Amino acid sequence: MTRNEAEIKLKKIFGFDKFYDEQWEAIDMLLRGGRMLLIEKTGYGKSLCFQFPATQFDGIAVIFSPLIALMRDQVNSLNEKGIPAKHINSEQTHEENSQVIQDAINGKLKILYIAPERQENQEWIEATRKMNLSMIVIDEAHTISVWGHDFRPAFRRIINLVQLLPEKLPVLATTATATKRVQADIEQQISGNLTTIRGNLLRENFNLFVIETKSEDEKLLWLAENINKLPGTGLLYTGTRVNTEIYARWFDFVGINSTDYNAGLDGDTRKEIEKGLMNNKWKCVVSTNALGMGIDKPDIRFIIHTQIPASPIHYYQEIGRAGRDGQKTYIILFYNSKQDENGIAEDYKLPKAFIDGGRPGIKKYQKVINAVKQEQLGEKQLMKKTNMKQTQIRVIKADLIEQGIIKEVSKKYEYQFNAPELNAAKFDELRNAKLKDLDSMVDYVFTTEPRMKFLCEYLGDTLPSKFENCDNSRYKKRTVNPEKETIGKLIEFRGTYFPVLNVESTNSNIENGIASSYYGVSNVGTALHRCKYENGGDFPDFLLKLTLKAFRKTFGNKQLDLIVYVPPTSSGELVKKFAEKISYALKIPISHKLVKQRETQPQKVFQNAYLKRDNVSGAFNYTEPDEINNKSILLVDDIFDSGATIKEIGKLLTNFGAKIIVPLVIARTVGGDINFE
Amino acid sequence: MKQQYAYWIALAHIPSMKTARKNELIVRFFEEKQSIIDFFHCKKSDWQNLFSLNEKEIELLNGAKNELANYSFLVEDLLEQGYDIIPITSSDYSPVMKNNLKRAYSPPLIYTKGNKQIMKENSIAIVGSRKAENISLEFTDNIAKTASKDYKVVVSGFAKGVDKQALDSAIKYKGQSIIVLPQGITTFQSGFKKYYKQIIDGDVLILSTFFPKAPWSVQLAMARNPIIYGLAKEIYVAESSEKGGTWSGVVDGLRKGRNIFVRIPLSSEKNANTILIQKGAIPVDIQGHKIENYSLKEIKASVVNEQSSTFEDVDSKIIKLLSIGIFSSKEIIERLKIDWTTRKLTNHLKENKNIEVLNKKSPVKFTIKRKENIQQSLF
Repeated sequence: MTRNEAEIKLKKIFGFDKFYDEQWEAIDMLLRGGRMLLIEKTGYGKSLCFQFPATQFDGIAVIFSPLIALMRDQVNSLNEKGIPAKHINSEQTHEENSQVIQDAINGKLKILYIAPERQENQEWIEATRKMNLSMIVIDEAHTISVWGHDFRPAFRRIINLVQLLPEKLPVLATTATATKRVQADIEQQISGNLTTIRGNLLRENFNLFVIETKSEDEKLLWLAENINKLPGTGLLYTGTRVNTEIYARWFDFVGINSTDYNAGLDGDTRKEIEKGLMNNKWKCVVSTNALGMGIDKPDIRFIIHTQIPASPIHYYQEIGRAGRDGQKTYIILFYNSKQDENGIAEDYKLPKAFIDGGRPGIKKYQKVINAVKQEQLGEKQLMKKTNMKQTQIRVIKADLIEQGIIKEVSKKYEYQFNAPELNAAKFDELRNAKLKDLDSMVDYVFTTEPRMKFLCEYLGDTLPSKFENCDNSRYKKRTVNPEKETIGKLIEFRGTYFPVLNVESTNSNIENGIASSYYGVSNVGTALHRCKYENGGDFPDFLLKLTLKAFRKTFGNKQLDLIVYVPPTSSGELVKKFAEKISYALKIPISHKLVKQRETQPQKVFQNAYLKRDNVSGAFNYTEPDEINNKSILLVDDIFDSGATIKEIGKLLTNFGAKIIVPLVIARTVGGDINFE
Repeated sequence: MKQQYAYWIALAHIPSMKTARKNELIVRFFEEKQSIIDFFHCKKSDWQNLFSLNEKEIELLNGAKNELANYSFLVEDLLEQGYDIIPITSSDYSPVMKNNLKRAYSPPLIYTKGNKQIMKENSIAIVGSRKAENISLEFTDNIAKTASKDYKVVVSGFAKGVDKQALDSAIKYKGQSIIVLPQGITTFQSGFKKYYKQIIDGDVLILSTFFPKAPWSVQLAMARNPIIYGLAKEIYVAESSEKGGTWSGVVDGLRKGRNIFVRIPLSSEKNANTILIQKGAIPVDIQGHKIENYSLKEIKASVVNEQSSTFEDVDSKIIKLLSIGIFSSKEIIERLKIDWTTRKLTNHLKENKNIEVLNKKSPVKFTIKRKENIQQSLF
C-alpha cells in the first residue's frame, strides 16, 4: 500500500487527510510485518499508528494496555467510526468479558484492548489459540522496563510473549515517556529487528512553577486562596490516598468545588468521577496518580502536585496528561523543604519511604522461598504461613518469578528445580537507581535553568533553543503569603475533621464509625503510643475532648442506649477507663460484660487481614446477651487498624439482637503505621 | 532460540503427517544449516525443490504456519508454568531416545517438567501388566532398588500395576525417575502436586510427547508405550501377556536387537514371559540376575502351542525378499507361501519401519528402506 492509497483510506475511515511523516513511517513498517518502538509525546496521535493498520489486516489486533480509562475512550471512539473494537478488563463482568472473547474468536472484532494482567487468565489463553491474530501492540511500553516508572510485573509476561511471537507478525510498542536508558531496555527486551522512532517530547504550552513551602499547612493555605484563580479545571495529585481525602475535605470546607478519587474506589464510582471530570463538573479532582493516565480530555488546564513524584520522568508523564489541546496550561509542584533534626527535607521522606519500603528484607524473601520449597502454596496460604502482608507477598512473588526461582501455576507458587540463588544485589542496584532518580526530582525543584529544558534533557530529548515558560524564565516565583482569615479556617478545619471507619457489611448491624484523628497525622499517635507502650498513664484529656467532638459531630443526633468497649489484650485498663469517661460525659450507661473467652495476640503482631481475622474470630462473648437485645450500642476502642476486631464484635452483638452498633475510636491507622517490621 | 518454540509446536503436531516425514524435514533443514524459522518462511518453490514437499504437505504446513501466533501464546503460558519445551535438535533431547527410536519414531518435540539432565543418565524401563501378580511387583521393586543403587534412572508410564510400582520403588530407594505421560503435560496437575518434592529435588522428570492440553486417552496411552522403551537403555519385563502394549513393545525391541530382560516365571504362572525368552529376551531371576545357562527345554511344556509363522519369522523372510525388489502383498504371500490374508499383511508391513510403502493406491507395493537416507548428524 502506498502512502497515497493509505491516506485515501484514512480519510474514509478516520476522517483525517494526512499522516504525519513519522506516523506513516511506523504504519508502513507495520504493514510490512515489522517491529516498531514509537516514542512520541502525549497527544501526538500514536494510537492511529496501530488503529489504522488494524483496520487493514485480516484478523484481530490485540492491544495490551494498562489503562482502563483509555481502553474505554478509544473503544467508544472507534465504534463511532464503525470499527468493531471491544475491551476486556476487570471493570466488566465475567459474562461481558466472555462475550468479548467469543466475538474475538468468531472474527467479529478488528481491535481488542486488554489489560496485561489478563495474560494470567486461562480463559483468555485458551481463547488466544483460536483467534486469527493480526498484530500485537504494547501501549505505555515504558511499563515493561524496570528502569521505567510504573514498572508492572504483569508486563513481564507480555515481554515474554513478544519474544516468542513469530517473525512477520507486526508488533508495536508505544510510549510518551522514555529516557534513553528505558528506550534501550525496551529495545533489548522486544528484540527481533526493532525499529525505533523517537519524536520531540517538548510541551511548549506548559507553564511550570515550583512552590517551596515550610509546612504541609502552607500548601493547604496557598491552594485555598489560589486554586479558583487558575483557569479552567484540573487535577491535584497527592502522594497518598489519605491525603486525597484530607485535601478534598479541606476544599469542601473552604468552598472549592472538588471531589476525591483513588484506586481504592469501586469501578462505578471511578467511572462516575471520570465522567464528571470530562464534563468539568469540579474545579479540581483530588487524586492519587491513578487518575488521568489515558483519559482523553484535551483541556485539563492545570495539574498540581502536593508531593514530588519519584523521578522527573514520573513527573513528565503525570503532567503530560494536561493541555493536550496545546492551550496554555499551569503545572505546579509543591515542595516542603523544611528539614528535620537529621537535615532531611519533609517532602523527601515519603518518596524515600516508598523506595525503602518497596522491597521487603532479604529474610522475608528467604522465608517465602523456604515455605514454597515445602509445598505448592497459593497467595493466601503463603500469607498465613509467613505472616506477611499481601503487598509484601506480591512484591516478593514478582521478584522471585523474575529471577526464575518460583513459578505460578494455576494460582499456586511452585519452587523450581535447579532454581538460582536469590540475587539480592539486583535489588540494591534498582534501589540505587531509584534514589538517583529521586534526587534528580529534587534537582528539578531547585534548578535555576528553564524547567522544560531540565525535563527534556532528562528524557534525552533533542533541544530547541528557547525555553521561556516557567518561574525560572519569564514568570515570577510563587510564594505562600496567606490571609489571617485563611489561617483561621485551617485551624478550625483541623479541629473538626474526623476520619471515617469503614466497617459496614450486609450481615452485621454495625455502621461506619468515626475516629478523632489519623494515627500518624497529628500528635494523637504519639500520645497513644506513650500511654500504651511506654507506661505513660491514662490517655490524656485532649484525646477525650477530641474523641467526644468527633462523636458529637458524627453521631450527635443518634439515640444510643449502651456503651461497650473492647476488652484489653495487653494494655490493661486504658480503654476501660477511657470508655468510662466517655460514658460519664455523654450520660450513656456503660457495660463491662463484653469479655474475651480465649487468649488473643495483639493484632499488631499480624501482618495481614487473614491472620488478624483468625486471631479474633470467636474470641469474644457477652455474658448477659439479653441486655443487648434491641439496643443501640456505642462501641469504644483506642486504635482502629484493619477493623477485624470491631467487625468481629459487631457480628457478635448483631447475633445477640443489637439494633445498631456505632464504633468510636481515638485514632485510625494509615497503612500499617504501628506494625513492627 | 525461544522464538522457535511456536514453530516446533506447529511442526510437531501437524496432523496426518508421519513422524518419519517430519524428522526427514528436520534433518534436511538441519543439514542445510537453517533454523526451523527459516524453514517455515521459505518460498514455496524452496519447499518444493529443497524439501520435496508435495501440494498436500504444503497445504498442511501453511495451515500450521497460520497458527504460529496462537502457539506463541501457548508457549508463553507453558514456559510461565515451568515446563520445558525440547525440540529434537536440542542438546537437552534424550540421546537414548534418538538412538533407540531413530528417525522413524523419535518424537520431534517433547515437553518436560523437572530435571532434564535425567535424560542423559543410564536408564532402565520396567514394564508389565496393569494387573500384575504380586511376584511381578516384587520383581519390579527389586529391579528399581538395584537401578537406584547404580544411579540408573527408572522410566515408567504412570499406569497401574508394574508402572506404578516402578515409580514408587524408585522414589522409595531415592533413585531418579522419568514419568512418561499418556496425556498432554498440562493435564497432570494432580501428579505435579503429588510429586512436587521429587520434582523440585531433581529426582523426577515428567515427560510428554503429546499436545500439551490433550487429555488422557487410550490412544495416547498406547502411543506412549514406545516412548518408554525409547527412553530406556535396558528393558526389564516383569510380566507380559501375549498381546497388548508390553508384548508388542518387547517384540519390537527384540527385533531391533535391544537388551531386554524378562523375569523367569514360576511354572504356575500363566503369562507370556517364557515366549519372550524363547524369542531372544534375556532370562533373569527375581533379583534381575541373568541366568546364563537357562534351558528353554525345561519350560517348553508350559508354553502353549505356538503358531509356526509368527510376525518375526514372516518379517525376516519378507525383508530378505524386499531387499531384492518391489512387491505387493499378494506377490509376497505367493512367493513366501505365508498363511495370511493380503489385508493383514499389508497392514502389518505398513507398520514396519524398515519397509517403505511405495504407492498408496491398490495394489500397494513395498520395498526395503534405503539405509543411506538416514542422516547420521542428527540421529
